[in-house]
Amino acid sequence: MIFFFILLVLVLIAQIAEFFIPTVDWMYHAHIYIVPVIVFYGAMALPFPLMLALALFAGILLDALTVQVIGAKVEISMGWSILLYAVLAGIMHGMRPLFIRGRWEVHCILSGVCTSAIILAQYLMITFRRGSILFTREVWWQIGGPGLIAMLMAPVVFWTLHWIGRITRYPYLPQGDHFE
Amino acid sequence: MNRSSIIALLIFGAILGYFLSFGSETTRKFQSAVYQWLAPLFTTGSGLQKQITSVRTQLKSLDELEHENSSLQVENRQLRATNQALRDVEHEVNRLRHALNYRERSVFKLVPAEVVTRDSSTWWHTVTINRGKEDKIDSDMPVVTDEGLVGKTTTVSNTIAVVLLVTDENCKVAASVEGTREQGIVSGERVTGGLTPMLDLNFLTKQANLQPGQKAYTSGVGGVFPSGLLIGAVKTFRVRELDGQAKLAPSVDLTHLEDVFVVTGRK
Repeated sequence: MIFFFILLVLVLIAQIAEFFIPTVDWMYHAHIYIVPVIVFYGAMALPFPLMLALALFAGILLDALTVQVIGAKVEISMGWSILLYAVLAGIMHGMRPLFIRGRWEVHCILSGVCTSAIILAQYLMITFRRGSILFTREVWWQIGGPGLIAMLMAPVVFWTLHWIGRITRYPYLPQGDHFE
Repeated sequence: MNRSSIIALLIFGAILGYFLSFGSETTRKFQSAVYQWLAPLFTTGSGLQKQITSVRTQLKSLDELEHENSSLQVENRQLRATNQALRDVEHEVNRLRHALNYRERSVFKLVPAEVVTRDSSTWWHTVTINRGKEDKIDSDMPVVTDEGLVGKTTTVSNTIAVVLLVTDENCKVAASVEGTREQGIVSGERVTGGLTPMLDLNFLTKQANLQPGQKAYTSGVGGVFPSGLLIGAVKTFRVRELDGQAKLAPSVDLTHLEDVFVVTGRK
């Protein structure tokens, strides 16, 4: 349970940190997202109810800090990020047996794919609201770039969280007990 | 699926349904509460970021000095470092003096504010400032610098406010072009390709034939933005099927915003 609360605190810190991390200019201003990687690690390491709680917390934070309210219009309603996180975390949770066996490669790749999926879903929602579908090279970079960065970050983040889990004697760790 | 998972799923569904039922006003209030709750973290983070940037700049200049003046004594390096620090202070004083001058000569009542954070999301262009309801800031108030229009406030909590930048597609500003009778609507681009975001000035007449360098100002139509605020300068003009469209370069460098003013009324 301590590990779960640590993950909640880390999600909060990462969400705040994202405001101060500059964008990657050569990737068409792609943003660096850390929260999804933490949530997706939690999805693999935590039992189903706690995984939902983590997705709920991350989704509420994301919506509360990014959703735009202009006049009487909300561009993406509160709650959509919760749903997105929960669905994607659910998919990651389904890969848990592989994680238990100590194989993390697929999860690192999936973390990147799911991070991009969140941004793509947001883009589709705002496109639906604003009209005129645009899929330029810049759009693809801004969707794919954060995913690539998340994919590269994932091994380091996973290793760190794995280490924290070991310190807090968290019982749901991979049987391999070492990062492969 | 065991019983605890089903119960968790039901509770999750109920909470999700609750959030999805939020209207615009409830969302705004909820956002305002969250921003208020996190305001100390944002302020601390902003301070930390400035310190890190400052240390990095100083280290860089020291490194350069080492390469250029490897034979200089330690005392000489210290003097140069002190000089650099004083220059930073001078720059800060000049910047604030410039801002103060603008505030005094402006025809608007201005509340000075500092940018605390920049946008953390891909699709929305916002910044947060360290002023809120306690400073009589409300939503839909124009935000400017001495160079021109920055955007407008959206979510406002007690001590912090979110500013929707003029480069966001959702920030629509009624504009007129100097030296012409042309009027149109300025909005940002959905996706920024280059280093500097551009603005679209839509709904011009096909005969507008705007020239590069012509300036666009707020026209005052719509009620949010008062007339006469500089938005940007025309870069290109093209005729579309139904109207004319100009690309504008924003007058304010929005990527390096530090100090802004919230327009609370006229003097």
